[in-house]
Amino acid sequence: MRRNSAVRASMCRLDVESAVKEVGQSIGDVLSSPRYVLGRGVKRKLVDCEDPVPDLPYPLQRQLVMDLCLDKLQSCHRRSEPSLHRSVLLANTLRQLQQEMRQEGGGLSPTLAAACPAHAAPATPRHTPDLPPVPSDCVLAEEALPSLTSCHDLIFGSFEITNSTSYLTDLAPDDIFDDIDTSMYDPSDFSVLAFPSLRVGSGAPSTNGEEGLKTFSSCSPSSALQHRLSDLNDLDQIMEILVRS
Amino acid sequence: VAGGTGAGGNDVQWCFSQVKGAIDDDVAEADIISTVEFNHSGELLATGDKGGRVVIFQQETENKCQPLSRSEYNVYSTFQSHEPEFDYLKSLEIEEKINKIRWLPQKNAAQFLLSTNDKTIKLWKISERDKRPEGYNLKEEDGRYRDSTTITTLRVPVFRPMDLMVEASPRRIFANAHTYHINSISVNSDNETYLSADDLRINLWHLEITDRSFNIVDIKPANMEDLTEVITAAEFHPHQCNTFVYSSSKGTIRLCDMRASALCDRHSKLFEEPEDPSNRSFFSEIISSISDVKFSHSGRYMMTRDYLSVKIWDLNMENRPVETYQVHEYLRSKLCSLYENDCIFDKFECCWNGNDSVVMTGSYNNFFRMLDRSQRRDVTLEASRESSKPRQVLKPRRVCAGGKRKKDEISVDSLDFNKKILHTAWHPQENIIAVATTNNLYIFQEKVN
Repeated sequence: MRRNSAVRASMCRLDVESAVKEVGQSIGDVLSSPRYVLGRGVKRKLVDCEDPVPDLPYPLQRQLVMDLCLDKLQSCHRRSEPSLHRSVLLANTLRQLQQEMRQEGGGLSPTLAAACPAHAAPATPRHTPDLPPVPSDCVLAEEALPSLTSCHDLIFGSFEITNSTSYLTDLAPDDIFDDIDTSMYDPSDFSVLAFPSLRVGSGAPSTNGEEGLKTFSSCSPSSALQHRLSDLNDLDQIMEILVRS
Repeated sequence: VAGGTGAGGNDVQWCFSQVKGAIDDDVAEADIISTVEFNHSGELLATGDKGGRVVIFQQETENKCQPLSRSEYNVYSTFQSHEPEFDYLKSLEIEEKINKIRWLPQKNAAQFLLSTNDKTIKLWKISERDKRPEGYNLKEEDGRYRDSTTITTLRVPVFRPMDLMVEASPRRIFANAHTYHINSISVNSDNETYLSADDLRINLWHLEITDRSFNIVDIKPANMEDLTEVITAAEFHPHQCNTFVYSSSKGTIRLCDMRASALCDRHSKLFEEPEDPSNRSFFSEIISSISDVKFSHSGRYMMTRDYLSVKIWDLNMENRPVETYQVHEYLRSKLCSLYENDCIFDKFECCWNGNDSVVMTGSYNNFFRMLDRSQRRDVTLEASRESSKPRQVLKPRRVCAGGKRKKDEISVDSLDFNKKILHTAWHPQENIIAVATTNNLYIFQEKVN
């Protein structure tokens, strides 16, 4: 979570200074306007203003937003509170920008091609390993953009909460071992000494837990009670292994 | 609505009443307040936090006869509602954070509330004990058993008064019905059922039955690659037990009638306002996502909150809201920065006052907004320790959007976006409001002369 020190809205380059609003420009699509007034508190009429500082043309603004979008999508798993809502909104925004770029069609301006070399190099940190490799000779905007579809499962598939906390307890111990044929084993082989680490309802993991399992599979108790107890022990062993891994 | 109050906005002057929570600036993550809710009488005020705890405050009036007397809320009960869980198969922790609390209407001496985290809903019973039995024949007062051979006479145990003890006990646990994160719960007006909504599905429960729920809305696409919209909030109509609404991340609200079919995937009404083309930006879709939907007490209107505005909808008109209020329009030119620091995904809630004349919602810098529908006026107030002297009247705050900053105004660039008021609640009858900052709960009341 963010530190509690004051967080200001850091100046994103695309944000128009409040002075622009003051000169009466409608809130409108300021980002699509090539005109920016960056001077603080300087009153200018919109018609008279010229770019005192060359600002980003629309395609580069769009690229910036797309970069941010990709960053956020790729880092969504590192967040402490993953959110499907957030991921869907980011994916929609990215898709919309991609569509826009496709509609603008053939041939990028050299500026844009130069601005997106990062997307041409698969090795940049912006790409997840799961995104399809981007051809290094990227010319068209479409090829420069990673495909969303392969990300979807990665992004959307991991939000399900599985009911694993009841996964094992819902099943009767006998059901788990239905497929194990114990008819061949001699009940007299059953020995407590064979698996010293087993405890009913065991908590702490033991180093020879796996050995205990192997030993169990080679013999079988005859009585139903012993069978059930060792089933439960086996359950604990499995849980310990799962948790440890 | 009783009390002759309810008219908020500029006619009412709001005063500081109380603040609950730690004073120091270092916020413990578990103390972050995640939900605030008054019960139906307003006597109880519940908060849930990120640590899975519920704290209930009870109103104690100095003079119960006078309707506008000063009331104080004091701690009534505290309990651990949810614990963190671990999903072994996905190696993910399921947070214990309380997403929502909803009270049941009171039927007997005990109080009941539903509290939910991402996965599990619990029904809690809160009951008082102020007497205890004394004079058992077989037991000493401290519980030790007496030697039966020493008993020569019998007596009837009697109830003697004791210090009030408030007990919270879980009565029902509604689990394993949600694959995605629960964002809403809503008790039906029939007082027998309730709904729970996650990102993609809405389930209907009977309060008595925990091993079954009915799925009434399912928007999960067959192919997750086609997912473009999620459910963000849902609520039952306050009077029509067959009607509920749910909002989406695309800014739409669907009203569903459970009488039409068992699975309410086809809505009865779709509320959506066409986008204003002059306001189009890269972030248009993100800011149109609805973070909260609330019916008015009358049941005739509903209110929605998106990132920049509050909209009031007449249930009889689907194509546009009847009223729109800007919460913090000065943020429109800062959307890219707010997108960069993730604030654009903040989910603000909203609430109605008792007679539906004023609505309230939170903002940044610990500001909150009161929007008076009848007077068509609005005011911005602040929840801060600086304005927390007893009965201190809150001064309206103003944000300077551009140009020369006037005295007492604060400029947009000085706003603290880490101080956000996401959760607010309004007493159902009186002009008492509860406003949650990150880890403090402020209670404000109407100025009483």
